[in-house]
Amino acid sequence: MMTVLLATAIHGAVPADLSAAGGFGAITLYHYLFVAMVLFALGVIGFLARRNLIIMFLSTELMFQGAGLALIAFSKFHLNHTGEVFVIFVLTVAAAEAALALALVVLLFRQRETLDAEQWSALEG
Amino acid sequence: MECGVRRAASRQSAERRLNAILNPLMLYVGLAAGAVGVLMALPRRRINPQIIGTLIAAASLGGVLLHLALRGAEAGQMPNINFYLFAGIAVLAGLRVVTHQRPVYSAMFFILTVLSSAAMYVMLGAEFMAFALIIIYAGAILITYLFVIMLATQAPTEDAVEALNPYDAEARDPLLATMLGFLLLAGLTGMLAKGVDSIQPAASIAAQQEVAANLPGKVIRDLSARGVFDGLERPAEETLHEHWDVHAGLLTLDVTDTDALRISLKNERIAELMPFAQFNMATLDVGDPVFVHLPESVQASNIDGVGWALIAEHPMSLEVAGVILLMAMLGAVVLARKQSQIGETEKAAAASKFLHVEGHES
Repeated sequence: MMTVLLATAIHGAVPADLSAAGGFGAITLYHYLFVAMVLFALGVIGFLARRNLIIMFLSTELMFQGAGLALIAFSKFHLNHTGEVFVIFVLTVAAAEAALALALVVLLFRQRETLDAEQWSALEG
Repeated sequence: MECGVRRAASRQSAERRLNAILNPLMLYVGLAAGAVGVLMALPRRRINPQIIGTLIAAASLGGVLLHLALRGAEAGQMPNINFYLFAGIAVLAGLRVVTHQRPVYSAMFFILTVLSSAAMYVMLGAEFMAFALIIIYAGAILITYLFVIMLATQAPTEDAVEALNPYDAEARDPLLATMLGFLLLAGLTGMLAKGVDSIQPAASIAAQQEVAANLPGKVIRDLSARGVFDGLERPAEETLHEHWDVHAGLLTLDVTDTDALRISLKNERIAELMPFAQFNMATLDVGDPVFVHLPESVQASNIDGVGWALIAEHPMSLEVAGVILLMAMLGAVVLARKQSQIGETEKAAAASKFLHVEGHES
């Protein structure tokens, strides 16, 4: 199913649409940026509102997704591969952050048997 | 004077595009409805209108997207269904990531978000990053999350197997968080609606061939596999750029063997690359130049471009990224190691046991 969808995505590919930047049916940069912004804002809301440490870190990953989508879209619309290279580094940072943050979460959980961020308010400056 | 006229004209066209792409009032109404939906969808202890909230948020955010799509339909063009499909899946799954009460489901919905953004990457022509995203995010990072979720969960008790943790069942300051998040979103999208009036993509053929010009080995291998060099000189990798007009996409090669060239021109796929040679076949002699159009496949692919940008333009960052990953690995090992206190006598006992086994084997 996924491969079929990917195949249709390739055939309905953007490059033809890109040339018609003023065309209404075309997918413009704005569309991609809008989706990226919504993902980023949802990540912010999740980080602020949830109390579970793991979900808070998952929300930061959601913000990374938004940033990555915006970078790829800009890179495509400027025909400059540096944006894609930047996404490689975003992935690197995300992987490093996941490893460290989750190690910290496991450490904290061992001490108090809870993942509630409020329980750790003693850590605040 | 002329400059002012031009600026006014460009502002006018920007306004037209703004009205065409995002009607700001519709946008803000949609975002406000989305905020109400997210607020309702966030977990709460007493009354929990999660499903209604999700529906409202999805409907309003989808409405903004659909608004974009309908504008396209009004103009008589079919909207790109795939984009709206994957964008919708990404936003809905992202919504569930931040609102679902069970962490495992949140992680699963995040995988869905990752897959649909990978599909959007493919639509943008960034195949390499799409597959890297699936492999690294869905394959590695999310598995780490799932492991940690399983490690850091209290075992369920007999009488309440399905019980939620209190900190999963209730959000912290949902109103403030939603307001802040959607104010951010309104600010960003408002800027988007006003912002840059046109971002035109550059001419793509020359850009792609400039990358290909950095990869002479690939070009020569590809052309030789097609049999283009039968009867024509085969340039060395180092001198290829002397034969290559990057902007026109033409190679200039000398004839070395007219008979071999005549035979290879019988092949239509080669002949269409050299219309000039085919036309002048009768008069061509050894040493005469022939123009060869470069076929599509010679142009640099997405992976060529990313690889070239990574290695040639940002080698230092690549090294730094490697160091960061190494440090993160070391840090995670040091942090997660169980610190156990072993007494001196236990250490001595373990050592003597080890020595005893060693001695026995020898």
